Amino acid sequence: MENKKPLSPHIQIYRWHISSLVSISHRITGIINIIAITLICLWVSLISISESNYETINLLLNSKFGKFIILGLTWSFSFQILSEIRHLIMDLGYGFELYITKITGLVVILGSIILTIAFYLIGKNFI
Amino acid sequence: MVQINLPKDSQVKKGKYFKDKTGSKNLRKVNIYRWDPSDGENPRIDSYEVDMDNCPSKVLDILNKIKNEIDPTLAYRRSCAHGVCGSCAMNMGGKNGLACTTPHEEIDGDIDIYPLPHLKVKKDLIGDLDGLYKQYQSIEPWLKTNSKSQTNEIIQSKEERAKLDGAYECIMCACCSTSCPSYWWNGDKYLGPAVLLQAYRWIVDSRDEERKARLKKVADELKLYRCHTIMNCTSACPKGLNPAKAIAEIKKMLATANI
Repeated sequence: MENKKPLSPHIQIYRWHISSLVSISHRITGIINIIAITLICLWVSLISISESNYETINLLLNSKFGKFIILGLTWSFSFQILSEIRHLIMDLGYGFELYITKITGLVVILGSIILTIAFYLIGKNFI
Repeated sequence: MVQINLPKDSQVKKGKYFKDKTGSKNLRKVNIYRWDPSDGENPRIDSYEVDMDNCPSKVLDILNKIKNEIDPTLAYRRSCAHGVCGSCAMNMGGKNGLACTTPHEEIDGDIDIYPLPHLKVKKDLIGDLDGLYKQYQSIEPWLKTNSKSQTNEIIQSKEERAKLDGAYECIMCACCSTSCPSYWWNGDKYLGPAVLLQAYRWIVDSRDEERKARLKKVADELKLYRCHTIMNCTSACPKGLNPAKAIAEIKKMLATANI
């Protein structure tokens, strides 16, 4: 009698590299951003309903947790934009050599951090 | 569908430990995925201490050494040992490759050897590639020409021939397809990098007269567009080919209506 054949291990054992990390992060930040945009819409509609809503939400956003969320979203949007540009370039058929995907992947990761810091400083000093 | 965890009957247990008997000082621990279809148990990881002083440089040499000197029950495919036949494709140190061309020096720490990922295992390191071969058959990988004169040679210029470079060298070892997360989750419908690279090879062949039909056939949400340029395929290919770029080229031909 033959046994059911087992499935060999996959994601549990496969080593990550820059391109696969950027790809999975692109998906995760995509989902986060959709939720974020929905919440921002909700925020705007709540403000238009009453003034007390504005103050409650303002209090929430100015708390430590709120600031963390805003900073996190800034990163997730920065990452998504840079990664999407990388995808667009690849859709044109460029940048498929292994070392170039490593470089562009690193640019996306480091760039998203730099953009986040830049937005933070701009927000802090000028707005 | 995305399924992160392994099914219950596929979860890997700890197996036997084979201690070194040669008394060598230069030992390496090799952990190998084992599954025996005859005993009804779950797969397990057996560990072997291997004397590296008397072992040539490739991972396949380690496997041969284990089979010859330590544990003859170990099952794996191998044939040419020169990176030409593609039989000994497996997952070593978390990356797919050919055991016969992968130096064990490149793997840090213990050497973990698994079968190609997300396949039904037949025994130990042997995965079931029937699905992939069926998909390969589905793209009709042969020259199709409707020309009436079948006795004349079909001339191909050097430039036209050069388009096949980087595609015809594929040995169908399945390292790329089984490294691809999209292929793991949608392997029943998505053709995967190996088969798409071959589809591309026939699409760009100047002698083939079914280019349009071939393009039409792969232009499918699931067959082709599950590629999200994760690049696992290109980084796994033991022949240094670039399936991801071939897939992008097919997408580009379809997008620009360059049919």
